[in-house]
Amino acid sequence: MSTKKSKKEIAALMPKKVYNITGKKKMILGIVIAVALAFLVGLIVRGVNFAIEFKGGTMMTYNYEGSVSTSDIEKTVKELVDTSVNVRTGESISSGDKQITISFTTDDGFTGDQQSELTSKLQAQYPENKIELFDSNDVNPSTGREFLIKCLVAIIFAAIVVIIYIAIRFRRIGGWSAGLCSIFALCHDLLVAITVNVLFGFEFNSNTVAVLLTILGYSINNTIVIYDRIRENRKLMPKSSLNELINVSCTQSLTRSIRTSITTISTMLIITIVVLVTGYHSLLSFSVPLMAGLISGTYSSIFVAPATWSWMKAREARKNAQGSEKEKKENAPAKAEAPAEKEEAPAEKKSANSNKSSSKKKKK
Amino acid sequence: MKKIGKSTFFIVVAIIALFSVTVIFGIDYRYGDIPKTYIKGVDDIRLGIDIKGGVDATFEPADDFDASEDQLNAATEVFKTRLSALGITDSEIYSDSKSDRIIVRFPWQAGETDFDPESAVKELGEMAELSFRMGSDTTTDATGKTAYTGEVVLTGADVEQAEVQTHQNDTTKEPEYVVGLKLKSTGKEKFANATSEAYSAGQPIAIWMDETQISAPKVNAVITDGQAIIEGDFTFESAKKLADQINGGALPFKMETKSTNTISPTMGEGSLDAILLAAAIAFAFIAVYMIFLYRLPGFVAVIALTGQITGSIAFVTGWFGFMPGSTLTIPGIAGIILAVGMGVDANIITGERIKEELRSGKTLDGAIKVAYKRAFSAILDGNITNVLIAVILMGAFGVPTSFFSKILNKTVFFMFGATAEGFVYSFGFTLLAGVILNFVMGVFASRLMVTSLSKFNCFKNRKLYGGEEK
Repeated sequence: MSTKKSKKEIAALMPKKVYNITGKKKMILGIVIAVALAFLVGLIVRGVNFAIEFKGGTMMTYNYEGSVSTSDIEKTVKELVDTSVNVRTGESISSGDKQITISFTTDDGFTGDQQSELTSKLQAQYPENKIELFDSNDVNPSTGREFLIKCLVAIIFAAIVVIIYIAIRFRRIGGWSAGLCSIFALCHDLLVAITVNVLFGFEFNSNTVAVLLTILGYSINNTIVIYDRIRENRKLMPKSSLNELINVSCTQSLTRSIRTSITTISTMLIITIVVLVTGYHSLLSFSVPLMAGLISGTYSSIFVAPATWSWMKAREARKNAQGSEKEKKENAPAKAEAPAEKEEAPAEKKSANSNKSSSKKKKK
Repeated sequence: MKKIGKSTFFIVVAIIALFSVTVIFGIDYRYGDIPKTYIKGVDDIRLGIDIKGGVDATFEPADDFDASEDQLNAATEVFKTRLSALGITDSEIYSDSKSDRIIVRFPWQAGETDFDPESAVKELGEMAELSFRMGSDTTTDATGKTAYTGEVVLTGADVEQAEVQTHQNDTTKEPEYVVGLKLKSTGKEKFANATSEAYSAGQPIAIWMDETQISAPKVNAVITDGQAIIEGDFTFESAKKLADQINGGALPFKMETKSTNTISPTMGEGSLDAILLAAAIAFAFIAVYMIFLYRLPGFVAVIALTGQITGSIAFVTGWFGFMPGSTLTIPGIAGIILAVGMGVDANIITGERIKEELRSGKTLDGAIKVAYKRAFSAILDGNITNVLIAVILMGAFGVPTSFFSKILNKTVFFMFGATAEGFVYSFGFTLLAGVILNFVMGVFASRLMVTSLSKFNCFKNRKLYGGEEK
């Protein structure tokens, strides 16, 4: 029933004003690449600060009373490990206890035995100060590296599976390029999130991985909603060019994209505010980069993925046209889109192409 | 599904309400002093150590010792015995024979104030002290610890191997599981002397691991060849456990931590409160926003979202009997947030569609029907991709024995060992649960509710659905 729509219905469904996204694809891509480059530079300049679960190392936090000398503690730790040691004092947010944090990186980790040796040494050194372990985190550097690589492999593998899925589900509208473009948009969002993470001075820790995973799901969902609209409109308006389809579909999905984004971004904003008010800053490294990624995900799904896709398709068409120049000229446009749209009836292809070329002329 | 009447709305709401109440409060029953929990409520949620505080440690054999699978199983059994000796009841323990790792995770024990995680971790990795002692007499010392009094007959160093065997029962002639014990030549004579002494005195010879008695078999014969059989109503599991425990006492290596993470119990509680507060505010905001934007479908969406959130909690508590629950961690909460976001999205897509279809001049019934149908393909593809992502994460970071892990670890992640980081798994778990619920609540239940409500005359006004009045 969905395929048989009267012309009147289609006309009623057509948005009054269609935003010409594909027409501005050069501008959009230019801006996006510029932004991405700026973010990349920021990322390289600041450098990613991996938390110890990824880079390996030891961090031990003790509660204490009275006063202790950080340099003396540093000396004690150095007796046990032959590396540079960082000691700083602070205060627990929840209990208000004074705390001292010792961090260092060793080549082969700091085993449980060594940890309790350190604790008893410190307690012997400061018998009056009630030194007590608050928390500790020790990761062998090789384990940490392995875990980081495993996370990356998992994300890349997930991305590949998603491309394959999109390619199958959207094969009628050229699935592989659609899948690739959604991943391009995704990479853009991930880059934004990582850079914001770095610029705010957060460590790359397990929260960051959770953020990247959330964006992975969210960004692809956003792009798929638009692809789905293109797929549907392809059936309703078989005579329209791809660019027209993209523009109409993006415009139709715009309200939904913006409204969904408002809910998700507001949720993150609420979390950020609550966290700032209550003082549990450890959650900021979750909410702030996620918010940035969500904002990026909104515009990348509306603009970046469709514009990239339109550009890719146009390039594909040009390449094919050049390849078959020697053949009969009438055949060339029909072949142009053939590889990606095998299922389409030939008549549709021709008309789609003639539409496209006419729209190109208009631009000039 | 053809007939969606007026009553459907109330039935769906009642089901969601009933479901939510049982999820939140649980069902328990108190018979005298014995409470019995049929369904776990919110209070019974197992919080991850990032919220509750606790210890997460990964052990590997010291000095790069290459342990066999049997040795690793024996070491795991030693860990389990020690954890329960420490009074730690809700620990998680996994072993991975590929990387020779044992991963232990346990939360802070309730009411425990002077618990020393460092010494606990240190103690876990020590070589187990196995002893065979004459008699099963024990005394309880001043600190409440049970101590052995019998004379030591054998130690772990005298044991060659213990294994599960099947054996025909002498009286019933039925096959049964037993633990076969093989001693080294150093233990043969000692054991022969001890068994003859115990046999004549009618005493058992008790087997101890550290300070825990793991078995006290009666001696039925004098054993001179160093090959004994321990009988007793064993199942395969219990026989294997005892064999592993005995082997654990004969392990030639000590376990060392490769990573440890101790999180203070005071740190997480506050952040959980902060998240819950934020979640409550955010939900209130979403509710107002959805009702404001989509009126009647928006109101229905809020009911469906409530069902989705309590549904996610139900998955975590293990409400659904066929699927074990999970621990709730901060990334797990992120998974719920993402899934709820997808749920809101599904409702927004449908809400927008209803508006569009109304604008195209359809009747109210037709518009609702078509809108749900058309919106579904977008919701389906978006959610299925998230299912794929969730499954990959659960496989890559789940416990080594779980279904998805077995497949993925042999293929994509063949070069990696098991990881201690349960948090990514936790994210995948709640995301998968949320996405499944999205289909049940966001698509199915809300369609039933909206269609049913549209049958009431007072809800026939197209404005309630975002259309212009005719």
